[in-house]
Parts: sequence; structure tokens; C-alpha cells
Amino acid sequence: MKYGILIAVALVAVGCGGTSSEKKQLFVAFSQCNNAEPYRAAQNALMTKLFAQDPGVKLVIADGQQDNSKQVAQVETFIRQKPDLLIVAPNERAALTAVMGQAMEAKIPVICLERDILQPNYTAYIHSDNMAIGRQAGQFIADYLIKKNGTAKGKVVQMRGLLGVEGEIKRDRGAKEIFAKYPGIQVIAEPVADWIQAKAKDRMTEVLRAQPSIDVVYGHNDPMAIGAYLAAKELNRDKNMIFVGVDGLGGTAGGIKKVMDGILAATFVYPLCVDKAVEVGLKLLHDPSFKPEKDYTLPSTMVTPENAAEMYKKFTVDE
Amino acid sequence: MKSFAGLAGILVLAIVLSPTASDGSRIFLQLGNLTDVLRQISVIGIIALAMTFVILTAGIDLSVGSTLALSTTVVAMVLTHDFAGMGYSLHIFVAMLAALAASTAVGALNGAVIALLDIQPFVVTLASMIGIRGLAKWLSGNANIDIGFGQDVAAAFAAVFRQKSVVIGSYLALAVVFWILLGRTVFGRQVRAIGDNEKAGRYTGLPIRSLKVWVYSLCGLLPGFAGILYAAENHQGNPNAGVAYELDAIAAVVIGGTRLAGGKGSIAGTIIGTLTIGVLTNMLRLNNVDSNVEMMIKAVIIVLAVAVQRQRGVE
Repeated sequence: MKYGILIAVALVAVGCGGTSSEKKQLFVAFSQCNNAEPYRAAQNALMTKLFAQDPGVKLVIADGQQDNSKQVAQVETFIRQKPDLLIVAPNERAALTAVMGQAMEAKIPVICLERDILQPNYTAYIHSDNMAIGRQAGQFIADYLIKKNGTAKGKVVQMRGLLGVEGEIKRDRGAKEIFAKYPGIQVIAEPVADWIQAKAKDRMTEVLRAQPSIDVVYGHNDPMAIGAYLAAKELNRDKNMIFVGVDGLGGTAGGIKKVMDGILAATFVYPLCVDKAVEVGLKLLHDPSFKPEKDYTLPSTMVTPENAAEMYKKFTVDE
Repeated sequence: MKSFAGLAGILVLAIVLSPTASDGSRIFLQLGNLTDVLRQISVIGIIALAMTFVILTAGIDLSVGSTLALSTTVVAMVLTHDFAGMGYSLHIFVAMLAALAASTAVGALNGAVIALLDIQPFVVTLASMIGIRGLAKWLSGNANIDIGFGQDVAAAFAAVFRQKSVVIGSYLALAVVFWILLGRTVFGRQVRAIGDNEKAGRYTGLPIRSLKVWVYSLCGLLPGFAGILYAAENHQGNPNAGVAYELDAIAAVVIGGTRLAGGKGSIAGTIIGTLTIGVLTNMLRLNNVDSNVEMMIKAVIIVLAVAVQRQRGVE
């Protein structure tokens, strides 16, 4: 009896699938590695908005939940559905390389978004450069210390993201490349807060207990910089230091708003890469003669109180 | 108290190993640091109180982390909703009530399914751990909801409920209530009786089904309250908050000497278990111990704590 019901449900489902293909719509499949991160939620929102402007396109987003095998399975299912365009934001390089190769073999155009893979199994790779962002942040901190103390001298606390992740490694390395040029800049603590605001608040509280003087807190993402700010505010020390973050998302919960509110001194926009991906994607869908470049590297933007309001408008996705 | 020796040992270690501040005092013993520890354990501590009851019935609740996330999301959504003309206190009250109602409903649903359909608690709460996380993320559209950075009702809410005295005071008050509930009431005795021998309980006419619904409802209510404190402290409704909190809470209960098979255990033990983890974490972090090493040390401590109690139990 149970199996009977299951089969009936399956038949109905198949029946529905059959009727919907009467009108030819372009099918875009997006495999997102992890909806849980605010950055990725913003990517999804922007992509939904941009593709919705083209009524001939149907977008489906699958969430890999930060799990390689789940994401591989989802991409495999997408390949069976023969989408007109496949966009993949890989969870990890090695794990997704092969399955994206299968998509290419199946003659599906593939856009690799934000993180790279081991072999160029994609039509186009659209990304930013975390190392450059780390350098920009490091230079901003050095310049601030020169302005404050006369020379590049001061105490910096880093709030680190999940260890071993590309973004964490390069945002750290880029900044330290700059600090190495100024022997007066000391990194006095680098607690690990796994990108999470609540953890950053606890870790920063401990740092504040141990360190009587801090000039700059550099968060590898905005939520950690904000968590550190909340900890300092609670101990009435937020005015003695500045907070610098990375990500620069729009919207009321994003880092740009926090620069406008005077909580962060600066944030560095890690581009969503989505506007470029949709632009390239639509050309691939509609123009058979279009030959995309293999690699698009998008620059970061520094957001400070001077340009925050303007950037807020630019990077906020209306809901 | 058997688990007390373990806590005392770790306290001594924390004092001895504590780095010193510029004035020569031990950082661990500073009032500010000690209250940091109490505040940091309060969220897990509150959840662990209800988890003790669940485990005493020989059950388990894996959904508490998701319930906490739901509560942070609901309270933040209601706080950022514009009710024209509503006063701050009423608005805050409505927001908290909505969060507590939602999370208690989750617990009651868990309890009802477990009691009425007679499905194992592990399976039921595993399902709601997944489903309630989905609900929280769906409600918030996957995004965090920032609250209380400006001058509004949410700021007023955060200003009150992030205060150390309020957070620690709530934990203490709830600990006392649950201690009395377990040790001094008929309800507490019946909870233990179910875990000890459910069949015997049934023959003696215990209202097993309604008891279970009550116990799991409490295990929705308390994570819901913890979620309100989390939202205030971190200025956000976060649908991804509380991942793996169920494991931290279970660890605290187990270190405190409560038997996973049910029937035996105490609220005092759970509080000691919670404090043990809190002091240990603070000690390792004040000494800048590598975060990966910290995880390994914690693993050893959990097993040691339970093994020591076993040994003494056998003697």
C-alpha cells in the first residue's frame, strides 16, 4: 500500500514535469556552496533579482550546505536536467573540479563563481582577489597609524576567520605583507572566531582583558569586526581603537551601513561577482557568437565614511 | 558532589596558570573576567537545565540549537517590525512573547510526537533540528537581522538584556527554579521515575505522556529564552546561531554526572558541568592555547570527567 502511494506520487510528479516544457524557457542552474553565510545570501538575492529582469530565464538555486559531497550531488542532478547555463560557487577546489568537468563534457556552459578549481573546467571564472584586499586593508591600517601616532607604530588585533580557508589565508597574508614593511606595527593577538560575530565578541573580550592598549582591530570579515566592537563598547574602550572589516555588503545588516553609523572605520568590498556573472551569463544564453574571457578579476572598493552613503546605494539589493 | 572535585581542580589550574596583568594581578581572578565566564556559560547553562530533565527521562533533545536560532530570529523580526504607536515596553514584551511562544511550541510538538506516536526522541528531535533550522532560515531569508545599533526599540531591548547582571541573574534564577522543580516537587520525582523504569511507572499510573510533553516543552522554552539573551548580546537575529549547542549542553549535563540512560542526575551536577567547561575554555584562551589543541583538550576532559564518576560509582 505504501509503495502504491509512492508510485502514484512519483507518476503525478513526472506528469507535471512533462506538461511544463511546452513553452521553451531558458533554464539557469546555480549551485551555491553555502546559503548560511550572509555574503552568499546576498549573492543569491542579487542573482535572483538580476535574472528576474529577463522573463525568458528561469533560475533555480541549490544550497550545498558547506558540504562537498552534497554540492557534487546537486551539480550531478543539474547536469541530468541539461540547463542552458550552469553557475557554480564551489565549496572547495578539489572536490568540485571533476563534476564541473562533466558539465563541460555535457556541453553545458559553466561559470565558476568566486572560488577557483584545480583545472579550468569552466567557460568563464569570475572572482576577486583576497590578497589584494588584505594589502589594501593593511595599507589603510598603516596610514591610519601614521596619522594618529606620527609614525607607523601601533598595536593591531586580528580576528581570524575559519583557519585554512582561502579567504582567511589571503586576507591575513596580504595585510601582513604590508605590516612587514613597518617594524613599528605589532600584531598583538590573533584569535580565531570562525567568521562568526558572537564568537568574535567573546574572543575580543578575552583580548581586551589581557591587552591594556590596542589601536586597530582588523576583522577578516565585517561580522567579526562588529563583534569586536561590541566587546570593546561593553568595556567602554571602543573610542580608543578603530575597527576595520572586509566584505562590505549592502543592506541594513551589512558592513557598509556600519561604516555610515561610525562603527567601522572602513570596510573593503569583496565583490559579490554576481553582476558580472549575470552579464556574462545572459550573453552566453542569447548570443551564440559571444566568446567570453576565461578569467575576470573584479577589483575591491574601499568604503570609508566619505563614500559610504553612495556605496550603500550601489551595493544594496532592494527586496 | 563527585563532579565538584573536577571543577575544583580546573579552578586551581586556571588560577595557577593565569597570565598576569600589568599591575601584577592574575587576569583569571579579575572580577571582570570571572563575570565574563559566567556570562559566556549562561546561554548553554540555561539550555542544559532543561536538557537535564529530558535526559533524566532517558530522552535527548537535539533540536535546542535550532530552537535558539528560531528564537533569535523571531525576537529580531518582531523588534524590527514597525507597530505604529506601540510603546517600547509593550513592543519588547510582544517580541519576547512571540519568541518564547514559537520555541515552546517547538518543544511541545517534539514532546507530543514522542509521547503519542511513540517514536524515539533521538529521531524526533533530529528531525526538528533540521526542520526548525529551515524554518528560521526561511523566515529571515537566510540573512542576519541586525538590531539595536541605532536609537530605537531594539536598542532599548539590547541595552537591557545584554547587561551582565541580567544575563547572569537570569541563569541563576532559572537554576534555582529548576533545582527546586527537580528536587522538591512531585513533577521532579515523576520525571526521575520515568527514566528509571518507564514500564513500572506506567503500571503505577504515572501520566507518562503528559509528563513527556511538559518536559520537552520546557526544553523548547529555555532555549527560546537563551535565544533572546543571544539576540540582545550579539545585536542580531541569526538563523545560523546555535549550531552544535545541543552537544555543548549534553556535554555539560554528562560531565555533571547525569546518566544518559535516565533516572539519575541532578541540576547541581549540570551547573558544575557547565562551569567546568566554561572555566576550562577561559583558562585555555587566556593562555592563547591554539584553538585546535583546545578542542583536543576538551575531548579528553569530557571523557575523564565521566570516567572518574564511573570509577567512584563502582566502588
